[in-house]
Amino acid sequence: MKFNLEIDGQTRQVEIDPAELPGQWRIRIDGEDVEADAHLIRPGVMSLLIAGSAHRIVLDHGSGDSALHMGRHRIPYRAEDPRSLRSRRRHAGSDGPVPVRASMPGRVVRALVEKGDHVTLHQGILVIEAMKMQNELKSPKDGRVAEIRVSPGDTVAAGDTLAIIE
Amino acid sequence: MFRKILIANRGEIALRILRACRELGICTVAVYSDADRAALHVLEADEAYRLGPPPASESYLRGDLILDFARRTAADAIHPGYGFLSENANFAQACEQAEIKFIGPPSSAMRVLGSKTNARQAADEAGMPRTPGCITGLASPEEALDVAAAIGYPVMLKAAAGGGGKGMRAVARAEDLPSAFVAASSEAERSFGSGEVYLEKLIDRPRHIEIQVLADEHGHCVSLGERECSVQRRHQKVIEEAPSAVVDDHLRGRMGEAAVRLALSAGYTNAGTVEFLLDDNRNFYFLEMNTRLQVEHPVTELVTGHDLVHLQIRIAAGEPLPFAQQEIHLRGHAIECRIYAEDPANNFMPSPGRITRLLQPGGPGIREDCGIYEGWVVPMDYDPMLSKLIVFAPARDLAIARMLRALDEYVIGGIRTNLDLFRQILRDPEFRAARIDTGYLDRLLASYPPGAVSPQPDAPPIPAIAAAAVFEATRTSNGSAAGLQPSVSAWKDAARGEAIGGIDWNPSRR
Repeated sequence: MKFNLEIDGQTRQVEIDPAELPGQWRIRIDGEDVEADAHLIRPGVMSLLIAGSAHRIVLDHGSGDSALHMGRHRIPYRAEDPRSLRSRRRHAGSDGPVPVRASMPGRVVRALVEKGDHVTLHQGILVIEAMKMQNELKSPKDGRVAEIRVSPGDTVAAGDTLAIIE
Repeated sequence: MFRKILIANRGEIALRILRACRELGICTVAVYSDADRAALHVLEADEAYRLGPPPASESYLRGDLILDFARRTAADAIHPGYGFLSENANFAQACEQAEIKFIGPPSSAMRVLGSKTNARQAADEAGMPRTPGCITGLASPEEALDVAAAIGYPVMLKAAAGGGGKGMRAVARAEDLPSAFVAASSEAERSFGSGEVYLEKLIDRPRHIEIQVLADEHGHCVSLGERECSVQRRHQKVIEEAPSAVVDDHLRGRMGEAAVRLALSAGYTNAGTVEFLLDDNRNFYFLEMNTRLQVEHPVTELVTGHDLVHLQIRIAAGEPLPFAQQEIHLRGHAIECRIYAEDPANNFMPSPGRITRLLQPGGPGIREDCGIYEGWVVPMDYDPMLSKLIVFAPARDLAIARMLRALDEYVIGGIRTNLDLFRQILRDPEFRAARIDTGYLDRLLASYPPGAVSPQPDAPPIPAIAAAAVFEATRTSNGSAAGLQPSVSAWKDAARGEAIGGIDWNPSRR
């Protein structure tokens, strides 16, 4: 199979096929061939041998992203086909309403503004709290509060849209 | 000896105390909030009872409920751990009245030492050196100006009921003092319900050195050496070690004697910690006394060879101290890292959530006190400490090397942690040379912000790309290709385990 791998901020073209023996793989990375021997010692924990050099690679599916732990490095990655890559970029560049997103998982303490209020860039919109630490979410732009989607006491996940500024 | 102990805490310390009880043949009663139903301290206890909803004020701070459970389960004693009710003199007194032993000092000693101004008076009576400044609360900004003028700037305003850096303000000039006084006082009022603040001389670049003491109920008190806790962020300890690289036998003896004098004069019993600041000329100044077991007690256990929780329980049961001061010897070096669910690269934002992957270090000289497991959901309601990773080695440089090795073995997936921060500190030449003070970590973080110095390689390494490719190939395949079988079945196992709720336990830790 073939796909684009976005890894650590770079994009690589990867082609991978199983070789003759179980656990053996032929991998082509940007046209360069690599023979890999991969064994899962338990879910998400891979023993990887490449030409005798041994690596422990641990898969980390967090909220929102995937990453690999290799030695002391945490390396985020995403496998995509080119079509979805383009569609995501289109979304990211859009103008108009801008969401205020939760910077961490937590609980909503209070709203500092109301729907319809005019706000300025970096003005406080909501306060959320987790692990005894409060965090003020700020307006991403000058504008008007189009929507506040949460109430005090609500539990939110990192990255959730909590309000919309237009 | 007690027959049954109720453990009024959660997380790693609840498990730590539970283990000590097991070793002493004592039955255990755990209590838990709704966020902790699946916590290890509940799993491992002999009995466990629900306190209430997740917020601490509705669960672990409900002294009335906890005392009620102790009565109903016929527990002889309550161990409060640290935090929550551990330094609450009213709770200790309620236990005394209910004739259930509070494993800690008597409430009378907690009242003397719990207020920092009272403790400073006690220090004077015990003839201990302390920082210049007042020993009673300040009535007004004018009084603060008078005291500051007498001792000289810079000064530090502190909450009498304080802790954890709340209600503290460093002030360099007289014109800034009145507004700082108002700010510190109102912050103290909000945090502790008392706006009393006092003022002391600011020591330039001090080390934080603390002495562990143990006092039995027969008038014997000993000190068990020092812990160096100078690596702090926002007045919260990050790394602790024992012994301190700058404390020699002579200084250790003098600090230990002072700490023992204070404990005896306040009628203190059980385990306690006397905190000092140490200046450049190795003068020490009394800071405060913590009337409980400390988070960082394991480093003392490793270098003295004594189990402090065992000793706490034995002392509370009325046994005399099993050793004299001259029988306490320090050996080797221990370092502790406090592993937190927080993201140093993102302004230390808390990172609660499910631990999807957990590989813990092992081998020679490693101790880990933790209450986490693969599949555990770290609650957002409590402090972010996940684990205490502690190493022991014959000398400081070997302990640092051992800790770096252990950190490289450690993987926590699903949430962000500060593991990388420890690698950064332990590799820093200043830390390795033990040139540290309480401002050290803030300076390091200012010079090398964690996100910026993340030791990523220039290009993603080939093995990582290959591994990502294999993970992707096995994830999307239907398993028909011959070479995929082993990985696919393992992948399905993982999916199955995750689907039924995080039971894929790490067998090596049990």
